[in-house]
Amino acid sequence: MIASVKDVHKRLGRVAALRGVSLEVHEGELLALLGPNGAGKTTLVSLLVGLRSPDRGTLRLAGGDPRQPATRRVLGLTPQATGFPPALRVREVVELVRAHYPHPQPTEALLDRFGLGELAARNVQALSGGQARRLAVALAFAGNPRLAVLDEPTTGLDVGSRRALWREIERFRREGGTVLLTTHYLEEAEALADRVAVMNRGRIVSEGSPEAIKRRVGLKRVRFRAAECPELAGVERHEREGDLHTLWTADADALVRQMVEKAAAFADLEVLPVSLEEAFLAVLDEEEAA
Amino acid sequence: MKLWLAHTKAELLALLRTPGFLIPTMLFPSMFFLMFAAPNLPGPEAANFATGSFMTFAVFTVTFFQFGVGTANERENPWSSFVRVLPASPLYRTAAKVTTAAVLALLAALVLVLASAASTPLDLPLARWPRIFLALAAGGVMMGMLGTALAYLVTPKAALPLANLIYLPLAFMGGMWMPPELLPKIVQGLSPYLPSRQWMELVWPAVMGTSWDTVHWLAVAGFTVAFALLAGWAQRRDEAVR
Repeated sequence: MIASVKDVHKRLGRVAALRGVSLEVHEGELLALLGPNGAGKTTLVSLLVGLRSPDRGTLRLAGGDPRQPATRRVLGLTPQATGFPPALRVREVVELVRAHYPHPQPTEALLDRFGLGELAARNVQALSGGQARRLAVALAFAGNPRLAVLDEPTTGLDVGSRRALWREIERFRREGGTVLLTTHYLEEAEALADRVAVMNRGRIVSEGSPEAIKRRVGLKRVRFRAAECPELAGVERHEREGDLHTLWTADADALVRQMVEKAAAFADLEVLPVSLEEAFLAVLDEEEAA
Repeated sequence: MKLWLAHTKAELLALLRTPGFLIPTMLFPSMFFLMFAAPNLPGPEAANFATGSFMTFAVFTVTFFQFGVGTANERENPWSSFVRVLPASPLYRTAAKVTTAAVLALLAALVLVLASAASTPLDLPLARWPRIFLALAAGGVMMGMLGTALAYLVTPKAALPLANLIYLPLAFMGGMWMPPELLPKIVQGLSPYLPSRQWMELVWPAVMGTSWDTVHWLAVAGFTVAFALLAGWAQRRDEAVR
């Protein structure tokens, strides 16, 4: 186990950001921390990387206290993409980060792998959003860490850049690295993670394989018009306005198949995505209230 | 050592590439000196005295703003949170900041001495410089602490206007722009209680070649400790809410 969190509480100003979180990160795995904005993912990460102290509970990183700088040598992490220093160049930023680690990656190789070779002399403030994201992830790997903590690594990226970053994350893992990744994209957790921990309102509400998590929070909305709606299995939630039905389900295909089998007289069928935020409102809050 | 160099290099490069900040900070005290002080300096004594005052003003400008406004800007920038969690003791970054401020302060003081040498009968023997250097450095640390305290006490946006509001009166009332006996009566009464004046009481004997009075060293040390405690308290308070 490379990192562990036990019953951690943290209040930020008036907000109870973490309300009793326990979590373990095992060596070699990719654990995705999934949750809507404001769930407490970033706060949890900030404690784990030693930026803050918990109000209650304990955190261990490679057997040590993450508040101790020496403990953090096993750790690489991404800065927020908006937060680069005002007047440094790409290469200078990489070299500043490398200087903190005993066995860092060679600068040129790292820049090339993340498609930053051509941009080495560019001022970091002049990078596009996608380039800044690539640099942020490159910095997490610059020190050859045992554990890379990637906070929302692909937010705002186009599909091509996202895939390219996923490839680099996979490659780091093949070389034996451990990754803790926060994301609010279910597809990202699905594509990369061995294990997913779902956070909502300062708590871990669910932990399991990506498939299991997807069954719980990967919802679709199936909408259609019908005078009568037959009894259907796998419906998380049923909304009705006149003859317009909206059914929330984890498996839209199976639902539509059932409707056809039962010869339901439906019209204007649509299958709509559900954002993770909406899924949480629909599923998790109800469970918490129950 | 490697980390200290890496952080110092990053700080200095960032400064050199923002000439909009660097050049005014370097030139402002000298410009002030040339306009208001230099024309009225009859002999070497007066020239030495005024040069000492304005050198202090130059060092004050750099240290107070570098630590005040610089630190306040860092609070706003998520990059500094990232740098904080890199595996290095915070001492390296502090050391790098102190080094950067010291380099800038030396440059600003040098520009001022050159301006003074070109325009006044300045006559400062080499033997006086170690004491001048020591006095300037002691006050620079004190004002760096005051700046840091300010940076953590107020919101980042308020830091710059507030810094000006504190810095200009402190410089004026401390006697950095004119000898204390020329200050308005009411200011003369207030002046000895200000950190800026206590600092001047260390620099003036150093430029004039007279001996130091221990009480001023104690006063500067006292202010430094008080500002450091305030800065430490404000920083912890700030970390608790973020």
